[in-house]
Amino acid sequence: MTVRYLLGSLLSAVVTLAGLPLWPVPRLARFWAARHRSRATRVLAGSGSPPRQADAGADGDGDGERTARAVLWLPVHVVTGLVLGLPALLCVGNIVVASIATPLWWAFPLADRPRLFVDIPVPDWTTALTLGPLQIVLLLAVARWVLPPLARLHARICVAVLSYRTNEQLADRVAVLTRTRAEVLDAHGAELRRIERDLHDGTQARLVAIAMRLAVARDAFTDVPRDDAFVEGLIREAHEGVEEAMAELRTVIRSVYPPILADRGLDGALTAVTAGCAVPVKLELGDLERVPAAVAAVAYFTVAEALTNVSKHSGATGAGVRAGRTADRLSLVICDNGHGGADDRQGTGLAGIRRRVSALDGTATVDSPAGGPTTVTVELPCGW
Amino acid sequence: MRVVIAEDNVLLSTGLELLLGRAGFQVAAVATDGDGFVAAVREHRPDVTIVDVRLPPTFRDEGIRAALRARRETPGLPVLVLSQYVEQQYAAELLATSGGGVGYLLKDRVSRVDGFVDALRRVAAGGTAMDPEVIAALVQRAGDPIAVLTAREREVLALMAQGLDNTAIGQRLGITDNAIHKHVGNIFAKLGLAVSDSGHRRVLAVLAYLNAAR
Repeated sequence: MTVRYLLGSLLSAVVTLAGLPLWPVPRLARFWAARHRSRATRVLAGSGSPPRQADAGADGDGDGERTARAVLWLPVHVVTGLVLGLPALLCVGNIVVASIATPLWWAFPLADRPRLFVDIPVPDWTTALTLGPLQIVLLLAVARWVLPPLARLHARICVAVLSYRTNEQLADRVAVLTRTRAEVLDAHGAELRRIERDLHDGTQARLVAIAMRLAVARDAFTDVPRDDAFVEGLIREAHEGVEEAMAELRTVIRSVYPPILADRGLDGALTAVTAGCAVPVKLELGDLERVPAAVAAVAYFTVAEALTNVSKHSGATGAGVRAGRTADRLSLVICDNGHGGADDRQGTGLAGIRRRVSALDGTATVDSPAGGPTTVTVELPCGW
Repeated sequence: MRVVIAEDNVLLSTGLELLLGRAGFQVAAVATDGDGFVAAVREHRPDVTIVDVRLPPTFRDEGIRAALRARRETPGLPVLVLSQYVEQQYAAELLATSGGGVGYLLKDRVSRVDGFVDALRRVAAGGTAMDPEVIAALVQRAGDPIAVLTAREREVLALMAQGLDNTAIGQRLGITDNAIHKHVGNIFAKLGLAVSDSGHRRVLAVLAYLNAAR
């Protein structure tokens, strides 16, 4: 791995040098730098000394400072790649030489016998069978013990030149937070409008309609002669209206904050929603203590919505829900054995999940190949 | 008396038809959006119209805008706007159109049939009907300047602002026309307003005063 890294760096240093005329192209420089930085990061991660910073945002556009650093890195890369990559090339090359020279030294013309240990010609089998394996063993030792530190040194230099400064990391974080906060506010506003609309067009309108019917009924009650059937009809309509208003109000309340969540917490609410699903659901709950209310609400809606999809669209005969929390993340997996092919664009279920999840800076992935199965995975940060 | 209604909620429009039918009105048309309303007014030439503030397609203030549009096409067209919430701005926009015959009421008022029908007739006759809540908010905001009025005078002021005439105010408060006349005179004198005749002009004067007194 490290040998390959060093050889790759050497080759890339040569390519970089050859590409000198292209250095001033910012996009190219940034792309090239980002590639190498993630290579270097991988080498450092593999050797047990993790990099200080993952390469999120390495391709960020229009960042002058980042471009300047990438261009500055190019000559550094040429030098370090050549200097540190050359030993790897020599090492590998001489192993190859020894492997060929040891069994085949006699096949070369007398004046042009292969040489081991740089400059010792091989005149006979004794020399070939002692020096050849010795060279291979020594160089393998070099590859085993010397090249990895060289590779790490190269990677460190690369990362050091290219890595974020602290204030850049902060700037990036602020940019992300600003964006997600705007999304949160948008989602919150949309949610408020939806609630207002539901109450205004639903419950409130029904109450007005009921009041009108009761008003007419009250008026008609004193008519002489009284039309009992008319009055009775109005009262019946008003009564039905009250029942509908109550049902609607319940729906609105549930969509604002599910009462079961308030009463039983997230684990109780998930137990209830899975028990109520038309398809049998296997529920696995990890530790769900002290999940913030907003996260719990999104988790609940995600599972409820996903299970609605399962029973309505998937044709599944069984489903599974797994929910658990690590230190700072709540993860949810909802899967089913249905026919797959779930699509964000059909219906609003999955889109709704994405909207709610992204509002909390979480991630939602839907894996649903045609023919199934479907897996919805949601990760929500919950350790602010 | 013929009425055109703009209301997209079937529950409410059937309720209104029922209620108006019993009160002796004839519902000529029920439109479910602003354009439909304007067209229906053009076609039926109603004596009075009832418009819900929120209508498709925007479900914002389509109703207000349709009402203003219809009044531009048919100056003096009596319009009673119904809303599920009170918004001063809407009342002000309606009052700003020339001529009388405007009303702005909470939908809740509909269930007090007598009061609602009174208000509708008043609007139809070129008068004004402002919701008590609109007026209460104005009176409350007016604060200091109307502190010079007695409690009874403030009641009379509020009812005047709602668009009631002296007789109706007297009935509402259970006092004689004469007493009302005296109260009204005192109010105008104390507030330094020129005495206006009964009707829309008086309402405008009182509302303008309340609006200015902040």
